Amino acid sequence: MNEHIQITPRPKISLKNKLYLPAIYDGVKVTFKHFFKNLNDINEVNTLSYPEEQPTDITSRYRGLHRLTHRPDGSEACVACFMCSTACPSNCIFIEATQREDGHDEKKPKSFFIDTLECVFCGYCVEACPCDAIRMDTGIFSLTGIKREDFVMDKEQLLSHKGAFGKELSCARN
Amino acid sequence: MSNSAIIVAIFSFVLATLLALLTIPILVWLERRVASLIQDRIGPNRTNIAGFRLGGLVQSFADVVKLMLKEEYYPSHIKMGKWLFMFAPVITFVSALLAFMVIPFADTLHINGEALRIQALPIDFGVFWYLAIGAVGVLGVIFGGWLSHNKYALLGAARAGSMVISYELPLGLSILSFILTYNTIDFNAMVAWQSRTFFGILPSWGILVQPLASIILIVALFAETNRNPFTVAEGESEIVAGYMTEHTAMKFALYFMGEYIAMNTASAVIITVIFGGYQLPFVSTQMLLQNFFNFAISMMIIMPFTIGIFIRWMRKNNTVRSSVSTDGGRAFETKIFTIALILMALIVEGILIYLAFFSENLMEKTIYVTIFQIAIFVTKLMFFNLFFIIIRWTLPRFRYDQVQYLGWHYLLPLALFNLFMTAIVVVGAN
Repeated sequence: MNEHIQITPRPKISLKNKLYLPAIYDGVKVTFKHFFKNLNDINEVNTLSYPEEQPTDITSRYRGLHRLTHRPDGSEACVACFMCSTACPSNCIFIEATQREDGHDEKKPKSFFIDTLECVFCGYCVEACPCDAIRMDTGIFSLTGIKREDFVMDKEQLLSHKGAFGKELSCARN
Repeated sequence: MSNSAIIVAIFSFVLATLLALLTIPILVWLERRVASLIQDRIGPNRTNIAGFRLGGLVQSFADVVKLMLKEEYYPSHIKMGKWLFMFAPVITFVSALLAFMVIPFADTLHINGEALRIQALPIDFGVFWYLAIGAVGVLGVIFGGWLSHNKYALLGAARAGSMVISYELPLGLSILSFILTYNTIDFNAMVAWQSRTFFGILPSWGILVQPLASIILIVALFAETNRNPFTVAEGESEIVAGYMTEHTAMKFALYFMGEYIAMNTASAVIITVIFGGYQLPFVSTQMLLQNFFNFAISMMIIMPFTIGIFIRWMRKNNTVRSSVSTDGGRAFETKIFTIALILMALIVEGILIYLAFFSENLMEKTIYVTIFQIAIFVTKLMFFNLFFIIIRWTLPRFRYDQVQYLGWHYLLPLALFNLFMTAIVVVGAN
């Protein structure tokens, strides 16, 4: 025999395993147990009847839909520094800056669009923001619309979203 | 040909067609619901017509509508044999449908001295018909796969073809040993043979008389119908969808439905050959007719209990969790079905009371026994379809070489051995 051929010894299979029918019987026993248990009480099946039942296990670390935070006086915390749109890997944040007149900072966004169809919900914008002005703590996981434009969030929409986990205002600007 | 003969012939034909075609949506639904229940899910349960969901059964009809309305797409690379490419699913579908037509649903009716078979094709060589027509189905698979001009389709077709060759042999040989045992090639006579008892206590069902041949028959029929664990012809993980890869819309649906009819036919053959067909164990048709009074009384007691259990199950399970605000009309549906079931039970009770106490007419009783046997047959049929489905969701798919190895190295020698032993015993006994 060629010395390059290496023979791997196979484990001996018992007659019971070779027959295969006892194993089938065991398998059917398991599936039938599940089947019968669930058939007896369908409401015990641990699934969510989704539109009627909403998930309750969304944690504060869940990256939901974005929102723009406020300062204590109600104006937006964003200073239009373009950090988020620079960090964005899918280039879905479109900001236009303008002069700020209320005395807090120098700039504010004139328009602030997020195209949620492009967004990959990576959270890099939240990491990049120096003013804690953009967050993803709304807990909104489902966004529906009937045309593409419905999914492009403008500044007013983003400011109107509420945080789902307590902290409302920007921590960095006051 | 008398009027009753014509009526019985039309009745059995319609019954067979309905049993073959109407079980498709039911089987698709059953498959999806059973699969989901086995996997701790719920399955399709939303689609409804005016609030009637039938436990999600309506979904199958919605699926049919969807497949009908889908775009008929022809792969442009198919130049030659386009008609055969289109015709191939029809071969599979029709052969599966025709093979079902020789199954007897009840014992032969004797009306005015005429023997009327409750069989869509009233022939007495049903076994040969089944073997001949059932094997044609794979031609559709082979044509479809070959003419797709696609490597996956071709591989799937080749696998289906080789699997039929390797499993037709054990199937035929195991059926041969049944033919030797029952000394007949008539499905109905086989069922009549199985209504006897042997060793005094056991019903002489094929599974008890010929256990080895029964197991070979069941395994070979699983392979014949392309059901798991023998779905190598359409193994998604290896060859996309096998022979169906290039087929769309209704062409695909015909393959799909043909598979379910084949499964239904296989269940019917298993019941007829090894599980006593339309008979209850120990009870032959003559015995039912002679002891009709006792039979009617026991039916009158058993039936309300069964329906009561079903109604209780429905009231418990046709609901939603208390955390869900709307039940989508389930309470109304349960109410309607409860009333309908109770009405049905009352009507059947009335008929039974009439037959047991007031009727002296033998023909009425015979017809009632026939209907009862059809009900038994359908129950058994559904039970075995459920068995097919549970096996599918229990076992993983065999590797292709393992399938061939099982067929040639185990089933074929075992079937031959069983055939020889049967022949020796039968010749020795006579």
